[in-house]
Amino acid sequence: MILSLLILFPAVGFLINGLLHLMAVNSKRKISANVSGFIATAAMVASFGVALYQFLLLRNIPAEGRIFEQTLFNWISLGKLQLDFTLRLDSLSAVFCLVITGVGSLIHLYSIGYMHDDETPAKYFSYLNLFCFMMLNLVLGATLPHVFLGWEGVGLASYLLIGYWYRDLEKVAAGQKAFIMNRIGDLAFLLAMFLAFRATGTLDLLQLQKIGLEPALVLPFGLLIFFACTGKSAQIPLFTWLPDAMAGPTPVSALIHAATMVTSGIYLLTRLSSVISSSETVLMVIAMTGAVTVFLSALMACAQTDIKKVLAYSTISQLGFMFLGCGVGAFDAGVFHVMTHAFFKALLFLGAGSVIHALHGEQDIFKMGGLMKKLPITSWTFIMGWAAILGLPPFSGFFSKDEIIYQSLTSPHGSVSFFILAVAAAFLTAFYMTRLLVLVFFGPSRVDAKVAAKIHESPMLMAAPLIVLSILALVGGWLGAPVHVGAETTTESHAIEYAVMGGSVVMALIGAFIAHKKYGQTSKAEKVNSFLLNGMKWDSFYLCTFGTGTQKIATGINTFFEEMIVQRLIRWSAVAVDLSGNILKIAQSGSAQGYLAMMAIAIFAILAWVIYGVGQYGKL
Amino acid sequence: MIPELQPWMLLIVAMIVFTIGLLGVIVRKNLLIMLMSIELMLNSVNLCFVAFSRIHHLVEGDLTALFVMTVAAAESAVGLGLVIALFRTLRTVDSDQIQMLRD
Repeated sequence: MILSLLILFPAVGFLINGLLHLMAVNSKRKISANVSGFIATAAMVASFGVALYQFLLLRNIPAEGRIFEQTLFNWISLGKLQLDFTLRLDSLSAVFCLVITGVGSLIHLYSIGYMHDDETPAKYFSYLNLFCFMMLNLVLGATLPHVFLGWEGVGLASYLLIGYWYRDLEKVAAGQKAFIMNRIGDLAFLLAMFLAFRATGTLDLLQLQKIGLEPALVLPFGLLIFFACTGKSAQIPLFTWLPDAMAGPTPVSALIHAATMVTSGIYLLTRLSSVISSSETVLMVIAMTGAVTVFLSALMACAQTDIKKVLAYSTISQLGFMFLGCGVGAFDAGVFHVMTHAFFKALLFLGAGSVIHALHGEQDIFKMGGLMKKLPITSWTFIMGWAAILGLPPFSGFFSKDEIIYQSLTSPHGSVSFFILAVAAAFLTAFYMTRLLVLVFFGPSRVDAKVAAKIHESPMLMAAPLIVLSILALVGGWLGAPVHVGAETTTESHAIEYAVMGGSVVMALIGAFIAHKKYGQTSKAEKVNSFLLNGMKWDSFYLCTFGTGTQKIATGINTFFEEMIVQRLIRWSAVAVDLSGNILKIAQSGSAQGYLAMMAIAIFAILAWVIYGVGQYGKL
Repeated sequence: MIPELQPWMLLIVAMIVFTIGLLGVIVRKNLLIMLMSIELMLNSVNLCFVAFSRIHHLVEGDLTALFVMTVAAAESAVGLGLVIALFRTLRTVDSDQIQMLRD
């Protein structure tokens, strides 16, 4: 079995690049980005080869037995808890593996060009490999703790890469924020794991699916798992870290914060779909959160001025679509959207990176414009990504997104309100993406004159992944829903499907048209709604409630408990000791005669007592 | 008429002498007087030994009294030596002046 090779290659790449970085630090030399980038990319391509090979093998087996398993070693042996370190590949993890290693390879390749002038490329690539290793563990893990290992590992890698340029304190803070917000969700994951182990005595995912949970436990388990997913997949209420996470290098945003890590929530929900979907409430909460997130974050994306932040909010919104899909029971549609989204969102992020690279770090879309002529490859590939995210046929987004929108209406768990929110979000998506596209690539140039002279198309290393991804964004949808997991909903009426399809495409076109009309000829910066720009003040809200609130509680405890009670207690006990010491000091006169007198008195007292006792009882 | 001397009368005398000696050690400030008071206490104990020896018709009490006298002689010799040494260093035999224990 060569399943372990899948995770071995990135691990080896991580170690080699890590050692290279340490050597470079010790000898004060610089490792070329080409060298470390080549090692990391080779590791990923090899891993992709293995994934592809395994995937093809998997397809040849009949559907019931589509599972490869490899146990590497006994991991935890603790009484009732016996865990093996087992990798398990089924059709769901195969899709994720292909996306991780495939899109991952392209982004590694792109990074070589993007990080060419970086100081410590070996460090960067080792982190990137570490991320892929952990992500593969997440999707291949056969037990919940194994998934949790990957879950925490990708969080770590994400933290390291967001704060990669650690000299900028703002970026470090963004990394910490991402880490802490994720930790809140992780707590829920842990609790869910405890619950499952207590109820069933096993943590193996396959057995958990077979045994299932008692109906009473499904609700808390499902809600905890879902809350964990809102952390990792940036859904309301834990989404605020993702826009800040854009502080990291752009390829990182493409790989971690668009294509792979943020979709691990969908993976987990789908993996446990047979367990949690027996509770209507859980599904409804998932769908509601997804629908609200889709709509609100699309609204927020409309007011962003930073090219990466637009895409970040767009990612949150698209993840909301996937959650909506899972919530209405169409888990396969959600996973399908994970795949197409990985293609076109990675493409958009890499395109944005290419623009930022060309403009020497400029990220404000109101300081761009008219880049079409100067960056033809970037522009054309970006337009492909735009078409895919809008859901225009025949691009990939069309198939997956419309499937979700359709399911949100017709599935037994769906409702009209979900459908309206989803369609409104599709309209807003078209609006903000067209706004982005028009402001960056068309219309009059608003680029600073100094920068404008130096604009250049990205090197081939960066352009090639863009082209490959744009092809994938075009054809990705034809692969069809690749997995069939969770509750299957039959399409009984094609008429509704076509109507929904046509409706959402028309809505998207209207959105695009309005955006084009509004921003087509913009020559100066727009005054944006600061409420939407700041992500609807969720951050301020958290700061007021959890940040300042906790501080106030602490201050209150400090004044009322610490100062009023504890410190007074200490002060008075000191006074009491002092006083008793002063009293007892009198006896310690230093005069031998005084001591003698005391001794004599004591002896007489004892004697008196003894004699009294003898008189009373006749004996001692 | 003078009553016959009874052993318990000796014990009363011994008690009185012992109390005088003890109070002397505690109250008087002169080291020499304190030494003398200690001698008084020792002698009262001797008196007790003799009295009990008489009461119980045993000879050990009388013998012990002889030993105590010997030891008392030696003790007073050492005690006087110490007092002289103290006087040489501190130039006083007043026990109130000698409070080095506290420091």
